[in-house]
Amino acid sequence: MHVEFFGVPRERAGVSELELHADTLGQLLGTLADRMPSLSEIIRHDRLHPAFVANLNGDRFVTDPRTPLRADDCVLILSADAGG
Amino acid sequence: MPSGYHGCVLRIDASSGHAERVPVSDDVLRAYLGGSGLGTRLLLDAGAAEADPLSPEASLVFAFSPLVGSPLTTSAKFAVVSKSPLTGRINDSLASSGFAVAGKGAGCDAIVIFGQAPELSVLVIDAEGMQDGALPAVRLESAADFRGATCGDTEDGLRARLGAAFRIASIGPAGERLVRYATISHDGRHAGRGGSGAVLGAKRIKALAVRGKRRVEWARPTELTALSRDLSKRSFGPATAKYRELGTATNLLTFNRFGALPTRNFQSGTFDEAANLSPETLAATREKTRASCVACTIGCEHIYGFGPNGAKVGVRVEYESLFALGSLCGVGDSDAVLRASKRCDELGIDTISAGGTIAFAMECVDRGWLDAPWLVFGSGEALLRAIELIGAREGLGDLLAEGSRRAAAAIGHDSIAIAPQVKGLEIPGYEPRALQTMALGFAVGARGADHNRSGAYEVDFSDRVDRRHVTLDAVRHAIETEDKAAMMDSMILCKFLRGVFEDFYGESAVMLSAVTGWDVTRDELRETARRIVAAKREFNLRAGWTPAEDTLPERFLNTPLPNDPEAALSRERLDALVAEYHRQRGW
Repeated sequence: MHVEFFGVPRERAGVSELELHADTLGQLLGTLADRMPSLSEIIRHDRLHPAFVANLNGDRFVTDPRTPLRADDCVLILSADAGG
Repeated sequence: MPSGYHGCVLRIDASSGHAERVPVSDDVLRAYLGGSGLGTRLLLDAGAAEADPLSPEASLVFAFSPLVGSPLTTSAKFAVVSKSPLTGRINDSLASSGFAVAGKGAGCDAIVIFGQAPELSVLVIDAEGMQDGALPAVRLESAADFRGATCGDTEDGLRARLGAAFRIASIGPAGERLVRYATISHDGRHAGRGGSGAVLGAKRIKALAVRGKRRVEWARPTELTALSRDLSKRSFGPATAKYRELGTATNLLTFNRFGALPTRNFQSGTFDEAANLSPETLAATREKTRASCVACTIGCEHIYGFGPNGAKVGVRVEYESLFALGSLCGVGDSDAVLRASKRCDELGIDTISAGGTIAFAMECVDRGWLDAPWLVFGSGEALLRAIELIGAREGLGDLLAEGSRRAAAAIGHDSIAIAPQVKGLEIPGYEPRALQTMALGFAVGARGADHNRSGAYEVDFSDRVDRRHVTLDAVRHAIETEDKAAMMDSMILCKFLRGVFEDFYGESAVMLSAVTGWDVTRDELRETARRIVAAKREFNLRAGWTPAEDTLPERFLNTPLPNDPEAALSRERLDALVAEYHRQRGW
């Protein structure tokens, strides 16, 4: 699936997007944490730090690491605090 | 009197410069705390809801808080509270830094100004060497030398004239000319929304200059120091990383991705040139520095250079300014947007209302309703020209200085349907159809469409609701964010800290108790927050509020977002949300 980073996650990841395979949200986050140690403050094991959120396809915000993912999903990772 | 307070208000008649100390009871302080809450209470008691906000009888309150002057990070803040000349409803705007500390150092918990000076004046409040319980020296000085001066030049000039220890809150040319969304500025920051600068301008007060070092006692100073250290430490963590590293401008690309970035007067939720305005691009192409308010450990201010060589002039960049002067007006030229933002700061104009009103006028030109062919979407030159005209109230600027609601009434053609405002206050950078909990927050906001008094967008960016199909379940979440904002604006702490609290009311109770000595509890503060929200409603009721005001412009209720057909909000659904909000509030 496609992963897009926004804001601080993008700064830390050093890329705006990448392709990855995972069956669940937790698996995806775990893989990202392994590959990108710079995300250590953002990802704790198989979950995001509460200051960050994940969204599926621009539609649904998800937190449960067991959330199933499909190959054509797009996962967005961004700051939870949307305010200006 | 509780610790943390002086227990009095300084009431000043701008007609004469006469001042008096008026006691404030412990009960009132505990019930309304400070900032927005105390300011609203004082205005209600002064009968300000019934007065014309630009008349001499109108009152304007600078309200401090029990936490001002404490070592708690972000506590150096003040609220400016009055009836808004833009909305005719309650208006509370907050700003930060040394003016809050100096104002409280003048030995009062709030400064209430009424009357009208005989000429453009500086109101000087000098508490240097003042004895306990004494009045500070208060006088009016001519501001003739500063007529037409920018906020920054006024501040610099007055400190050179009066002394570096004075802290200045001033209006720019727009406030002098009663632009209905003029700001009050201090140290480059603005009490920005709702036109408090016009209220001060109507009193012919160009600036307040305050010097004072009167301190208050803290009930448990050792505990307060420990709490402050802990809060500062947490303020360096992930919950505030966004503000530290990129600033609020980071919203731009995120909102664009979600189709929630208001574009071309809310005709779209995406902007093709958004990347030009993003902090990522700005940082890669311009000189950048960071700054922070007095007593703040976050440091959210990101200052970018602009101009022919890219770096000679700096401007603080915020998401709201980028959206309002950028995508909302269809302007993707970052140099023009930064220049426009800087010019608004200098003139003392709220960037959100300026951008909203100009974008509205651009669409009216598009539709053939307004004869100003130069004012077209996408033109940075037109944007800058419009801002100059507004600041000077010249030509078309005289109409646009009235805000989009009044401009629509003059333009006709049912243009009110596309005027981007609620209760007359222009809508900030959150597309209501794509963020529908926020749509409710906008509709019911006491001061109009507002992202600082309702943080309902947080709910939309969570798994608690489906942001494009919200149900009545969203209402309790919207109320919770509104209550929390009322508490933070009255206590006062910066909202950028909100993510660091695991138990906001419980931790707030501990901090307030260490400062004041009150045995205040989590539950009491929840009630306090609700009381403050209710006080704002009471003000609006006295000012003539009717339920019909709690809505959104027709544009948002008739058509889905062109870029996202799922982002549709019917009038019936919004009405149901508003009715449920009123029911849960007990109104």
